[in-house]
Amino acid sequence: MNPKVSKDFYTTFFNETLDGLAYCQILFDEQGNPIDFIYIKVNKKFEELTGLKKVEGKKATELVFITNTINSELIEIYSQVSLTGKSRRFEMNIGIYSKCFLISVYSSQKNFFVSIFQDITDQKNIEKNLEDAKKAAANVLEDLQTEKEMLAHAKAKDEALLESIGEGMIAVDIDKKVLLINKVAEKMIGWSGKELISKELTNLPLEDEAGNLIPSNKRPTTLALETGKTVKVDYFFVRKDKSKFLMAITVTPIKLNRKIIGLIEIIRDVTHEKEIDKAKSEFVSLASHQLRTPLTTVSWYTEMILKGDVGKVLPRQKKYLKEIYQGNKRMIDLVNTLLDVSRIELGTFRAEPIETNIITLAKSILDEQKLEIKKKGLIIVENFSKDIPTFSIDPKLLRMVFQNLLTNAVGYTPPKGKIEFSISLENKNICIKVSDTGYGIPKNQQNQIFTKLFRADNVRDKDTDGTGLGLYIVKSIVENSGGKIWFESEENKGTIFYITFPLKKVKGEEDKK
Amino acid sequence: MMSEPKNNKKILIVEVIDDERSLCDVLHDKLTREGFSVLEAKNGEEGLKIALSMRPDLILLDILMPKMDGVTMMRKLRQENEWGKKVPVIILTNLNPSDEKINKAIEECEPAFYIIKSNQTINELIDKIRERLSR
Repeated sequence: MNPKVSKDFYTTFFNETLDGLAYCQILFDEQGNPIDFIYIKVNKKFEELTGLKKVEGKKATELVFITNTINSELIEIYSQVSLTGKSRRFEMNIGIYSKCFLISVYSSQKNFFVSIFQDITDQKNIEKNLEDAKKAAANVLEDLQTEKEMLAHAKAKDEALLESIGEGMIAVDIDKKVLLINKVAEKMIGWSGKELISKELTNLPLEDEAGNLIPSNKRPTTLALETGKTVKVDYFFVRKDKSKFLMAITVTPIKLNRKIIGLIEIIRDVTHEKEIDKAKSEFVSLASHQLRTPLTTVSWYTEMILKGDVGKVLPRQKKYLKEIYQGNKRMIDLVNTLLDVSRIELGTFRAEPIETNIITLAKSILDEQKLEIKKKGLIIVENFSKDIPTFSIDPKLLRMVFQNLLTNAVGYTPPKGKIEFSISLENKNICIKVSDTGYGIPKNQQNQIFTKLFRADNVRDKDTDGTGLGLYIVKSIVENSGGKIWFESEENKGTIFYITFPLKKVKGEEDKK
Repeated sequence: MMSEPKNNKKILIVEVIDDERSLCDVLHDKLTREGFSVLEAKNGEEGLKIALSMRPDLILLDILMPKMDGVTMMRKLRQENEWGKKVPVIILTNLNPSDEKINKAIEECEPAFYIIKSNQTINELIDKIRERLSR
């Protein structure tokens, strides 16, 4: 490279480079301390970057370019570089310009130095933004962590709650797969949560009384999913070790925005309860048979005296004897009712469905009540459709249903009242309606009316004879026969009982348990 | 006072006499009044023996009895001979026919009636006995 080219090259380089260049000399005081520097040569870019004009030949301290603090800092660094010959590179914010420079200093001759200014403001801003973004992200993460901890805490609380429930509980999703099972349930069924989670609950065996496996489509889990309603049923559960126990199952759908998202199954071991219940019913049954014998004795002897079989009876004696006979008859009826109840509860009430003409049956029962109806001056409205076909039901049981409903209607309707007895056919259902203008059932006791031994307060005052068993028996029979029963009632206006039986497929009692 | 005409019909009552003495007495009394001659047996075993030797026209049979219950006696009677197969039996008990065994026996041995004592007046019972004997 010849000197000419070399000079031009450096001049061009000096003037056109994108960085600011300044060639300066350090100034000292009398003690030889560096106090200032003087700009000897600067390029255009330097003036552009710093905003200084015509600085050549001027001292740094004369220029308002920078503050004194910065100036002294710069002087310090510059003088060190120019005295030691060791290059330096540093960053410096120059506030009044809101600019950041990367400054490189080197010295090729003692007391002189070259300073190169690079504007790195944008770069710095980007870095700063990045840093800010990082900080923000860290904050968000921190918030998330807090939130997560709170959730975990809430979950732990829920789980602790579920674990503490005294009853067995299993949660399943809509595919019947086990999501959760509490300790009580684990212990009861003999399977651990680990073995069951994510497995289909319906794989675990349920059996009926006769030991038949309940098919998947009849399982309470399936029924609750299909109907969206709570299903309650008792079945035998076969544990992992093949032992069995009677399990009361209540399956309730969990709904979110009206959509089923899973099921909660509450399970209880009711073996003991059932045993007690059975023992109680057996006792009632046995006691009732024993009770019948002395009652028959009273009944037959009184009957024979009344009929004059053992001599003439005076009218007054006859009256007394009739009271004895009637009282005894009531006792026999009560024992019979108790026996019916115990048979229902023991499941020994064998329904024997045969083709039955329901109208003939209804009429014969109305006939039986004729005397009482006449005595009270009640109006009876018979409303029997002509198109009722015979249908399959146990006539003995249906008779009990009608007897109970009509006896109630007649007994609990004041004189001159009206009783309507209707039987019709609607949508392949036999619909039975018994309405009266009687005392009615108090609103606050309506939910108990089918409960065993329950009697409403208003009739308890008027008639002390009732057992509180009639409607319990009626409901048991109707439901065991595949029918439905419900009522409407208003106190002192009257009551309407409705019963429907499906024409097709009337279930026998045996099918139920 | 006891002037009712004899009707030459023999009735056998098979019933636990110890427990139900008074009931048995009143039945015995009533049947005699109505002109029947009455035989008694206190359990199924004795009942079967008397039935086969005395050949009554009708048997009133309880179910719950010691030694041999009524259901077993009825089965043995039906299997014994032609007479035993046809003799009218009225089951007279306070037990409900809810038991599988009882139901099956009723189906196979065809008693004339199954009567719950406490639910029947003694006169209705006599009517049923007469009705069955008149067939």
